[in-house]
Order: sequence, then C-alpha cells, then structure tokens
Amino acid sequence: MPRSSLQRLLRFGGTLTVLAVLGFLLLPAFVVVLAAFNASALPSFPPQAWSLRWFAKAIAYQDFREGLRNGLIVTSLSSAIALAVGATFAFALDHYRFRFKSVIEGVLLSPLFVPHFTIGLGFLILAAQVGLVSTYALVIVCHVVLILPFVLRSVYVSLRNLDRRLELAAASLGAAPRRVLMTITLPLLLPGLVSGWLFAAILSFNEFTASLFVTTQHTQTLPVVMYNYVREYADPSMAALSVIYIFAVAGLLTAANVWLGLDRILNVDGNR
Amino acid sequence: MSTAIASMNRDAGMAAAEDSPDAAVRFAGVSKRFGGVVALHEISFSIRRGEFMTLLGPSGCGKTTILNLIAGFFSPDGGEIRVDGELVNDVPTYKRQVGMMFQNYALFPHMSVAANICYGLKARHLPKSEIDRRLRDVLSLVRLVGYEERRPRELSGGQQQRVALARALVINPKVLLLDEPFSALDKNLRASMQVELREIQRKLGVTTVFVTHDQGEALSLSDRLAVISEGRIRQLGTPEETYRQPSDRFVASFVGDTNVLRARIERIDATCAIVALGAARIRVAAASLRHLAVSAAVDLFVRPEQLRLAESNEPCASNGTIVAQVYQGGHVDIYLECADSAAGRVLARLSGPQAMTPRSIGAPVGLSLNTDEAIAFEAA
Amino acid sequence: MKTQPFLRSFVTPAALCAFGFLAAMAAVLQYSVRAFIPGSLEPGGFTLENFTALFRPLFAHVFVNTVWICFLTTVFTLIVGYPLAYALVHVRNRFAKSFMLITVITPLFLGEVVRTYAWIIVLGNNGFINSVLLKLGLIAQPVQFMFTTFGVVLALVHVTIPVMVVILAAALSHIDRNYVRAAESLGAGPIRAFATVTLPLSMPGIVAAVTTSFAWTFSAFATPQLIGGGRVNMISNLVYQLGFASFNFPFAASLCVAGLALTLIVLLLLRAALRPLERMGPH
Repeated sequence: MPRSSLQRLLRFGGTLTVLAVLGFLLLPAFVVVLAAFNASALPSFPPQAWSLRWFAKAIAYQDFREGLRNGLIVTSLSSAIALAVGATFAFALDHYRFRFKSVIEGVLLSPLFVPHFTIGLGFLILAAQVGLVSTYALVIVCHVVLILPFVLRSVYVSLRNLDRRLELAAASLGAAPRRVLMTITLPLLLPGLVSGWLFAAILSFNEFTASLFVTTQHTQTLPVVMYNYVREYADPSMAALSVIYIFAVAGLLTAANVWLGLDRILNVDGNR
Repeated sequence: MSTAIASMNRDAGMAAAEDSPDAAVRFAGVSKRFGGVVALHEISFSIRRGEFMTLLGPSGCGKTTILNLIAGFFSPDGGEIRVDGELVNDVPTYKRQVGMMFQNYALFPHMSVAANICYGLKARHLPKSEIDRRLRDVLSLVRLVGYEERRPRELSGGQQQRVALARALVINPKVLLLDEPFSALDKNLRASMQVELREIQRKLGVTTVFVTHDQGEALSLSDRLAVISEGRIRQLGTPEETYRQPSDRFVASFVGDTNVLRARIERIDATCAIVALGAARIRVAAASLRHLAVSAAVDLFVRPEQLRLAESNEPCASNGTIVAQVYQGGHVDIYLECADSAAGRVLARLSGPQAMTPRSIGAPVGLSLNTDEAIAFEAA
Repeated sequence: MKTQPFLRSFVTPAALCAFGFLAAMAAVLQYSVRAFIPGSLEPGGFTLENFTALFRPLFAHVFVNTVWICFLTTVFTLIVGYPLAYALVHVRNRFAKSFMLITVITPLFLGEVVRTYAWIIVLGNNGFINSVLLKLGLIAQPVQFMFTTFGVVLALVHVTIPVMVVILAAALSHIDRNYVRAAESLGAGPIRAFATVTLPLSMPGIVAAVTTSFAWTFSAFATPQLIGGGRVNMISNLVYQLGFASFNFPFAASLCVAGLALTLIVLLLLRAALRPLERMGPH
C-alpha cells in the first residue's frame, strides 16, 4: 500500500522495538545454552572451552531422574483426569441447564486467580487433617484443580465453535445421543481437546509453587528437585537440564503450531 | 476474442477523448496482482465529474480491487491512477480525499452517530462552528436529525447505512466509493435506499463509484457502467448500451436475462447481417460476425421479453415444450424445453393479455420473436 | 425421552473437584483463625491474633512491597507487550508470525524454576550482563542485579509478557480491519487512526490483560525467592518461610487470606479506575 514517510518511520521504529522485545525474551535461553556447554563450572562469557559433561551429569543425576519419574506419573494422571472432568463438564455447560451451573463453573475457574501458594497450603493442611500427606494422590488432586480451568476454557471454546446444527442433523437422521457424541461431537472437538490436554499437561509438569507445598522427598516432581539443586549447588548441571527442557518445549509447541494451529487455539487469529 | 479487444479499444478510445479536466478519476494501464493471481490486467478508463459509475461483475472479477485502488488501500503494480488530474499512485489513503462506504458500514462502535460523522472533519482540524454546521446539514440530508447521540448498535440496518453515507459525504470527497452497500438489506429497503442514494448524489453532484454484482441495481442506478470479468473491462457504456448492444457474449449474458439460440447466417454485408431461426428472419449488427460466411452457425441472444408464444398456425422461429409457468405479479415467466437453445431451455417473459392465458405443463408450443432485431455472436 | 442425557455423569466429577477446592480453601480459612503452638503441627484455639500481627511493620512492609512489585511488573509488561501483540496480529509473513508466537509462548511453558535459573545466570555478578559490560569497559565493578527489586521485576516481566501478549493479541485480532481503513479514508493519519480507533477498541482487552497479569504476578514464588534471595520478599515467600521454616501454619494461612483480600481489593480498584477507559471500547 502507498505509505507516507511518517508511516514508514513508524514502521521502522516499531520493527526495532519488536526485535528488541523478542531479543529480551530470548536472552535467558541464549545465555543458558552458553552456560550449559561451558566446560568450566564457573560461568564465563564467552566460554573458554566447550564440553558436554554437564549434560552427562544431569542425565545421570539420581534426583533428577526420580523427579522426572514422579513428574511423569503426576502429570499423566492429572492431565488425563482433568481432561475427562473438564471436557465432560464443558459439554454439560454448553448443552445443558442445571442448578448451581454458574456456581460450579465459577469455583472451578477460580484457581486462575488464587495464588498457587494459597492452594498448595490449603491442600497441605487438608491432607494433614485427613492423613494423606506423603502420597501421590494429594499431588494429583492438587494438580487437577490447578489445571482444570485451562482444560475447561479450551474445551468450552471449541464447543462454542462447533456448529450445533451438525449434532441436530445427526439426531434427525436417527442417531441416539451416545452415537452423536461419539461420531460427531468428539471427532470435531478433537483438535481442541488435544490442545487443551497438551496445555494442561505442560503446565502440570512445570508446576512448582503448589507442588513445593504438597510434595515430600518421596513424591518430589522435577521442578521441586531442580529448585533444591539450585539452592545447594552452583554447577551448570542445571543449565544443561534447562537446555534440554527449553528445546523439548519449543519443539513440542512448534509441532503443536504446525498440526493444530496455535494461533487459532489461542484465539489470536481473529478475522484474518 | 478479437471482438472483445475491438470493443475494449473502442472504449479506450472514448476514454482518451475524455482525457479532459472533466475526468474525475482516470485509470491508465493499471494492473494489480496478489501473489500469483492477476486481479487486474492493465485496466484503462475514465470517470467523469459528477458521474454515477457502476462497476459490475461476478465475485472475484476485480471490481472491489479497483475500488480499493482508488481509495489507496494498496498500490497498483503498474499503470497510473489519477484523481482530478493528480497522480495518486503513492499517495497514502489518509491524504486522498475519498469518501468510502464499506459493505458492513464499519461504523466506529465506540462513538456516537455524531462522533462518527464528524470524525473526518476533526481529522482535518476544521473549526467547531464549521463542523457543527456541516453535521446539521448532512443529518438533514440523510434524514437522521435527532439521532446524534445514538450508538451504531442501537440503529437499524438502514439507519446505519445512512450514517455511513453521511460520514463519507460530510468531508466533501472528490470521489464517493460504495462497496456493495445494499447487499445486507432486504428487498424493499434496498429499493428505497437506492432511490434515496441517487437523489442525494444528484443533488450534491459528487463523482460516485458503485460496486455491485447485481445487474438489476447497476442498470437502474448508473449513468454509465463498466462490466468487468476476470480483471478486464468488457464493456463501458450507458445501461442502455450494455443492455441493447453488448460488446461480447459475457456482457450479453451477464447483464439481464438472456436466451441463447442456435441460428444461421442467411445474408451478410458490411453493416448488418440477416440471421435465420426457423421461419424468423432477424437483423443483427455485423460487427462481431464479419469474418463469417453465409450459413455459418451463430449464437443468437434473445431477451425473455423478446419471445412470445406463437399462435396455432403461425410460422414460428422455434418449438418448445412448456416446463413451468411462474407468476411474477407484473408478468409471467414461462420456462420451455427447446432444442435450439444452447442450454436446452428458454425463458419467455409474457405480460399483458398473452400472460393471462393458462397453459398446461408439457404442452408443445411454437416460439416467435416480437422483434426483428437482436444480438448475435459467433457460435461457441 | 431424556433431553439431557449424561447430565449426572458429566457434572458429578466436576462438582467433586469444585468441592475439593472449596475444602482446601476452607482449611486455609479455618487455620487462619487458630492459634499457633510452637513445636507442634496442631493449631490451638480460636484467635484473631494472626490477623492483628499483620499490621506490624515487618509484615505490612511485605504487603506494600508485593503490590509495588506487581504494579511495576504489570506496567512495564504492558508497555513492552502491546507493540509485540500488535506486530503479532499485523505481520503478514506466516513464518515470522509463527516464530514470534513460539518465542512469546515458550517462556510460559518452561516452568518457574528453569526460567528463574536462567535469569540468575544472566543477572549474577559473574553473569552474562556483567561479563558483557565489564568486557566492553562500560563498568569497572560488577553491578549488583541479584537480590534487588530491579532484578526481580525484570525476571517477572519476562514471564508476564506471554500472558499479556496473548490476551492483547486476541483482543486486537478481533478488531475489524475496516475500522482503520474507514478512519484513513476519512483523513486520519496513522497516529490519529491508532489513538482514536485501535486503542479504544482494544481497551477491554487491555483491562483483561492487566488484571490477569496482576493476579498472575501476585502468585509468583520461585522468582522472588531465588532472585530476591530473602532480601526482596513477596507474600508468597513469607508464606513459605512461615510454613516450612517455622511450621507456623496458622500465620501462613492468615497471610494467604490477607493476600487474597488484598488481590481482590486491588483488582476491584483497578477495574474501577479503568472503567471510564473501558467505556471507550465497543460493547
């Protein structure tokens, strides 16, 4: 389009600003990569020598491995439960009318605004009163409550975008509710369900603050283990682990973007 | 194909003759491509000052692209666009003085009717007294006095449209651009809005470019219209010219309903030809048939109102079987199966006493023409 | 014929979760009004001392500090995030758009600990910034970034940007392109068109983004804990210290309750302050 010199100037300034912000966002990742490959234990920029030994150390470290195992157990169970609970409730919200509808919805969405340390403390106290302190169940329940809002919102948005008339058409052709659900609703919701689940799973895996309260030595998830490590040791094993983390997550998100279209899921594609 | 080019050159020639100070908008060899797709192929035409010009064509033909180029939402890839003689290729939108009415009106939802209308005036830093005066004048012009403080969402479709029109007019634009403004309205409202728009346009004398795919609208509103297809102007002329003397097949079939009947050339000379269809002899312009010989096949384009059902013993042009009768209030549309028709069917439009006679489905009838002049092009 | 099949089976699990969450919140509330018995994990009888203790300067200071940090973070994130959200929505190039989106979203998914650790390496006295500045000769001694409010806010801004940008971008992308075109056709230059059309229409999004960011920042723990190092404390850190260092759960609970009340008050004030601005947006 034709542009005035003012428009061109604004465009240039805007591009610079955006690049600066992107640089700021990428800075820590960039620095961590440098530190992870640094042969020496003391940080230096640029590194004097390169090495992979911190990666070897990180992968071999027993506590990291246990943290990973616990994290995977907790995350897989809590994301599966959250998906089942969230998807079914979102469906009920969209299709049905029932008492206390908005109350339950409000309560389930409120963990978004309640600090995780409060939720963590609450579940810890509750568990102490019931005697469930050092269990996976406690951690899983806590995680489910924390990630449920995201699953709920994601599935609800997908349901809203689903054309209800498709379900009505199926019913008019003789399909019972169960068949409609299985053959029409679920398949069409699949991208929304998968992305909601993925989102929730990653959040659960990374969840730290509440987990710090509700896990014990024996149920520590990976973020808690990493936290303890940072407080005690100064070597770059943590940096190596972080690099693995960053690339795994970025890769996962890129794949999700390509297959599911992150911009549509996050609702930033608008009317383009 | 050569006939299309010939008529395009004819139009271009006409355009060149209009290269006078009176041309409000002039396109010279303008082309535009989007990615790999060519939207406009070196378009050239002029719009006279105060003229109501319609750009007519099917979706995707390039008519909206032309409008957007005049507005400055993008630049042409080639050629020149001039408004009031000034080259505007590189002039950004906010420096051109065009008033645009969008298809969905684009009224600012967070502003009142008055704020919407005065927006352009404020952007020009006009004194408050001038702004108030112009606001009052334009509100009475579109008959919305008293609606100043309403919000767009509180208005009906027709009212929103009048606000959009007022907003575009109040800045005294050099050109008024309308992008299918009536497509969202129901039929009755559309008809009355069309009349109102034309009245306002005549009163103000503002050069207007109107985009539509509705040929009925184009025929009724325009001083001149440009029939566009696939990025080229097929014909530029008055509504009557495009309807009576279409320059090619596309224009003939797009503007107004038409029947295409296979006929043969009986005689041909420099200016006109006689075409034989059954017992009928029809005179057509020879321009598009010049290279054809006697007894060559041609496609005869006959308007539905030019057909009538033949009396029992009358020699007829063709035969058909009645398939459907559709009562339309003022006239009756009769659909017939006809072997001479390229599409296999013809539509005859009857009014008056002939329309009253009931006929039965499946009845064989003869077809006659109630004109001895028509349009013909080389057989496809 | 049942018009609402599966109703019970779809709603019950969710209701149970809701109940579980409420039970946890009730537990916090309950403990906040019980006395602390040192050396024991069991709380004593009913008392309001936990709340009166909050007015002591030490704790009041933490409350003020928390609000201040949240405020700074939110403001800087907005200033930095809006242009990014705008670019994300208006850029044509698919690749650039994807790259920006991934870059913006990724910090959100790295988890507090990884992010904070990365910032420790950036901000430390032997860290990236200091090394670069020393090498370039711009400073003689390392600048202290760790254990300062500046360092904490910087790291918090880094994590709040994704939240802010996603909400802003969602709002911006739903503004019809024709509004700006209409403004331009009426003679508004790029600055006027932005200020009078785009900005007001994005107001509801800004309000939503600001409130969410504020609540999000309030919840931060690892960042102030590790980068603040005990010198910069937010309410979250205090709750943790009280709960796990001194096992004073009742007081920790009262801090949580007070924190919730504080968040609610600040958010309500925020909404009231922004309401006239929100009115500028479309309804």
